Amino acid sequence: MAQQDAGYINYFSILGLNPDAKPGEVRKEYRRRMKELIVEISRAEITEERRSHFLLEMAKLNAAYYVLWNGERREAYWTERSALISLEERWRDAAKAGDAEAEPLRREFERRLRDFLTKFIEEAMISAGRDKDVIEESNWDMAHERHAFRILRHYRQSLYQQILERLPYVDVTEPKISWDERRRVARAMLDEAVSSSADARS
Amino acid sequence: MATNAHSTEDKAIDQDLLAKAIARAVIDGDIVNFRFIFTPLSPARQESPEAFEDRKYAYLQPDADMEADPGFREVLAMVKEPDTWRHILGELDARRPARLPAPLLLRLADQAVRGGKYTAAAQAYEQLRLRARMQQLFFDEARDALAAGDIPRAVAGYRIATGLEYNYAAFPEPLPVVPDYQRRALMMHGDYPERPEDSIPMQEPTTLLRTALEYLLLSPEAAAQIEQTADAPVRVEFLVQLVHAVDPQWPAFAERYRETCGLMRAYQERIEHAIAQRGQSRGLADEIEDTLGADPEQLPARLLGRELGKAEWWQYLKELASAHPPAALFVARQAIGAREIIVPRYRSDGPLPERLGLLPSP
Repeated sequence: MAQQDAGYINYFSILGLNPDAKPGEVRKEYRRRMKELIVEISRAEITEERRSHFLLEMAKLNAAYYVLWNGERREAYWTERSALISLEERWRDAAKAGDAEAEPLRREFERRLRDFLTKFIEEAMISAGRDKDVIEESNWDMAHERHAFRILRHYRQSLYQQILERLPYVDVTEPKISWDERRRVARAMLDEAVSSSADARS
Repeated sequence: MATNAHSTEDKAIDQDLLAKAIARAVIDGDIVNFRFIFTPLSPARQESPEAFEDRKYAYLQPDADMEADPGFREVLAMVKEPDTWRHILGELDARRPARLPAPLLLRLADQAVRGGKYTAAAQAYEQLRLRARMQQLFFDEARDALAAGDIPRAVAGYRIATGLEYNYAAFPEPLPVVPDYQRRALMMHGDYPERPEDSIPMQEPTTLLRTALEYLLLSPEAAAQIEQTADAPVRVEFLVQLVHAVDPQWPAFAERYRETCGLMRAYQERIEHAIAQRGQSRGLADEIEDTLGADPEQLPARLLGRELGKAEWWQYLKELASAHPPAALFVARQAIGAREIIVPRYRSDGPLPERLGLLPSP
């Protein structure tokens, strides 16, 4: 399953819990992990790169708590996540078999995947930051939120890319790649760049 | 492949023109034209009311010199390869978004790298899902070259690798990172330097080196990698070659910079006095006018090589960064009365100004 669900954010894993974890465990684990993270942040020398990293880690923990602690949200999240994983599998099977059903499945999958990632990454992480329990535990404020937009969009797209990597090619035929050959081509391109740069300077 | 028309009841398309247009887009590394040929509204589509042979689409065709080029002929043969050609015609006939032929798109991406069209290459590799690995190949080559002291190869490698970067946070869709130096230069000079030493060119030499690498390579990660791989003298040499690679017209700018420094030197003491007497800087404008006998705006105009009229400092900075991206590293904002201008500024104890030919003769 590890391969098949990569990219579909798993808030249980983020808190180190099983999907049957009780709300009390969610709260306890969230608090513990948030405290650890805050200690780590206080000890670290903050660079731009680390700031982004810590902000994302904090947003992930906040969203994990926000989504899993509330029964309704938790149910909606886990149901949609499981449905998407199954839809991806159906589409991949249909595409492999060359079924006519593949294209409608692809469209449905694409639409639901984008909705899922937007709802359970950007929206959940921003909404979590406005929850009073979360504010109390993480000291998340409007300054965090302002900085987080760009980082969350990047994170959402990285997850999308992870999923895309294993999907059938749609807008281009599947390339046949030999990485030894690619390495040779890259070296040749570098040789050409060096020699044309030398020509230009001389 | 037959060279006569590929036709249906409704429309005939000259196959030879079509094949040459595709080959030209590939050899040029032109992903815009390549995609255009396959878009739903493309004149090469059966469903389009436009004629592919119309004169307004002549820009898609190669000229005689290109047609004679062996590289073009090789790509044309790739286009006309029976399986590929069958696929192309099938996609243009189908009433749905086309599936681009991967071998041609891959060649287009490679051609774009060769032509320095890194954003086009990044888009093509991204569509083929190869971008991150291709980028890593170039990073590896560049790092190895730097470690081996092969600076020209390291510069070329890092330029290509960072040119293939993608911005996944772009809204609404991910886009290649573009070399928008005019915007980055403005951000770099966003805060007015309260003290001269706060300005970008007056940073500690090692700090300026890092700033310059990040700014010119558009990548803090690449700058960090270079810092870890090479010691300071190698980084200076790397940066000098990078400046010339990014801006082939650098010597012309350096000459104007030296001239402007000559003007500045004439009233440097007065500027320093005025800075010390901040709040009374109206006097500085008078002094500059006395010294130059003209509007102080001529300083940025001389740096740029042309006047922009009554333009603000940031307009000059944007124009300068667009024409000579590295120039933004060697200028600073200077208030003169109610206005600001950009002036040349450098640390004479740093290695870069001398190596880049910016120091005026004594």
